[in-house]
Amino acid sequence: MTGLRKVLKLRTVVSSSAGLAMATSCYLAGLYVAVVTVGELAWVSLLIAGVLCLLSAMCFSELTSLYPTAAGIKLYIQNAFNEKTAVAVAMFYVIGGASIVGVESYLLSSVLLDTVGILIHPLVDRFFWQLIFILLVGYINYRGVVLTGRVQDFLTYLMLGFLICVGLYTFTVKGVDLAAAVASPKFTLENIFTATALGIFLFIGFEWVAPLAEETEDYRMVGKGMMIAIGLLSITYSVFVVAMYTGLTPEQIKSGTTIPHILFARNLFGSTGAAVFIFMSILASFTSFNSGVLNNSRFIYAMARANILPRGLSKLHPDHASPWLAIVMIVCFAVILSLFTLLTGRYMFIVVVAAALECFIYVVVALCVLRLRKKLPDKERAYKVPLGKVIPVFTIVVFTLLMIGMFADSTKDSHGNILFQNYWCALAMVIFAGLTAFYAWRVMPKLKAAAEEKAKTRKRRRPQRRPAS
Amino acid sequence: MATSAEIMEALEDYKIQCNNNKRLRRMQRDWTKLLHFIAEDTGDKFTMDVIKGEIINNKEGAEGTPDVIITATSEDMCDMFWGDLNPAQKYLDGEIRVKASQEDVQRIDAITMIIWPDA
Repeated sequence: MTGLRKVLKLRTVVSSSAGLAMATSCYLAGLYVAVVTVGELAWVSLLIAGVLCLLSAMCFSELTSLYPTAAGIKLYIQNAFNEKTAVAVAMFYVIGGASIVGVESYLLSSVLLDTVGILIHPLVDRFFWQLIFILLVGYINYRGVVLTGRVQDFLTYLMLGFLICVGLYTFTVKGVDLAAAVASPKFTLENIFTATALGIFLFIGFEWVAPLAEETEDYRMVGKGMMIAIGLLSITYSVFVVAMYTGLTPEQIKSGTTIPHILFARNLFGSTGAAVFIFMSILASFTSFNSGVLNNSRFIYAMARANILPRGLSKLHPDHASPWLAIVMIVCFAVILSLFTLLTGRYMFIVVVAAALECFIYVVVALCVLRLRKKLPDKERAYKVPLGKVIPVFTIVVFTLLMIGMFADSTKDSHGNILFQNYWCALAMVIFAGLTAFYAWRVMPKLKAAAEEKAKTRKRRRPQRRPAS
Repeated sequence: MATSAEIMEALEDYKIQCNNNKRLRRMQRDWTKLLHFIAEDTGDKFTMDVIKGEIINNKEGAEGTPDVIITATSEDMCDMFWGDLNPAQKYLDGEIRVKASQEDVQRIDAITMIIWPDA
C-alpha cells in the first residue's frame, strides 16, 4: 500500500502525548501528592500512578491498533457495547476533559496575578486573565491554526528537559533526607494510595493522542508513543515534584499556594528563575488547553455531522474551515467553569472529578478490550496486550478501587482541614453521567430519526444502476 | 459492488460540484493535496489531484505519493461522491477509514457538507 507523503514520527507521537498531559495544574497537583504522603517520597506514588497509567496505555494501544481512527473512544465502546452507551460515555469524557480548563485558567491567572500584580481587584484581575487565556486559545482554534509536529516536539522536550535539569540541580543544592522520610508516620499505605489516586491527574490527556493513528505509518506507533510518554512523564514528575517540595519553605507549603512552582523558582533562582517558570507555565497551559479545544471541537463537529448532536454544531467557518460554533460552545463552557472556580475557589473539586473520570475511562477501555476480544477474536490487532486477560482485569480492579477510594476520602488543605467530602464529586459525576445518558437514550434517537426522515425525502443523485449487458 | 466506471462517473460529478461551488473554493483556497481512494471490496484505486481547492483531475489507479488515503467499500464511495451518503456517519462508525492529518480529515468532510448540506 502507498505510504503518506507526510507521516508522524515516533518522537512527535511521544511529544504530543506528553504535551497533552503537562499543564500548569500538574505543579499544584504534584504538590498535593507530596503533601498527602511524605514530600521526599512523593515519587513513590507518582511512579505507581505512572505504572498504572501504563497498564491503561496498553489497553488503549490494543484498541487503537484495532480501530486506528480519530473516532477513537466512541468507536471502541460502540463496537464493544452499543452506540447509545458509546455516545453517553464519549460525551461524559469530553465534558470532563473540558472541565480541566476551569482549574487551568484559574491557576494560570494566579501565576499572572503574581507576576503583574493587582490592577483593579484580585477577583476582577483574575477573571480578566482567565478570559484572555480562554479567548486567545479559542481565537487560535477559530482561525484554524494548528501547532506543527516540530513545534510540539520543541515545546514538549524543552519542558521535560528543563524540569529534569532543575530538579537534579535542586537535589545537589538542597539534598534529600530519604531515611528520615521513610521513618515518617505519614508514610503509610493509605496515604500512598490516596496520593497515587491524585497522581493520576498528572497523566490526564496522554491518551488523547490516539486520533493521531491516522497520521502514522505503523498503528503500533501510537501505543508505543503513549507508553514512552508515560515513562518520561513519570520520571520528570518524580524528579521535579520532590525537588519542588524540598525547594519550598514549610510556610510556603502550608500557605495553600496555587503557584508552588513560581515560589520554588524564586527561592532557588530569584526573579529570573521565576520569570522562566512563568513562561514555562504559560507554555504548558497553552499547549495543553489548545490541544483540548482542538480535539474536543472536532469531536463535537463529527458528532453533529453524524446527527448525534444538533446539526448546527457542525457549522464551518467560510474562510478557515474551523468548526466555529463547536469552538464557541467550548469557550463558553470554559468561561462558565472558570467563573465557578473563581467564585468558589474549589479548583481541587475539579481536580478530583477529573482524576476520578480518568479512572472511570480507564476501566471502560479495559472492559472494551475484553469485550472486543470475545466479540472479534480473529480481527487483526497490530498490538495485543500480553498475558491474556491479566492486565485488562487488573486495570479494571485497580482503577475501580482507586475511584471508590477517592470518593470515600475527603480533600484537605495544606493544614489538614477538610475542604470538602469527595462524595460530592461522585454526586456531580453521577448528575453529569445521568444527563449524558438521558441525551443518548432520549434525545439522540429523535435527532437521528428526524435526520433519517429528511434523508428519505431527498432525491438520490446517483443514477440508477445500468442493467448488466 | 460499484464498478470502477461507476466510481469514476461519481468522481467526475463530484469534481464539477466542487469546482463550481464558490463558497467551497474560498474555504479550500489554500488546500493543495493528492488524494488516493481505495475501494476495499474491489481493490480499485483512484487518484484525485487538488490544487488550491480546485480538483484538477481524477484518475484510475494510485499515482504519486498521497497526502490522504481514504478506504471504503465501492458502494459507499460511489454514494459519497454522489452526495447520497453522509461520510461523517460512516467515518464515526469506522466504515470509512482515512489516513491523513486531522486537519485534512475535516477538510474532506467539509467539502461534502458544503456541497450537500443536508446529506
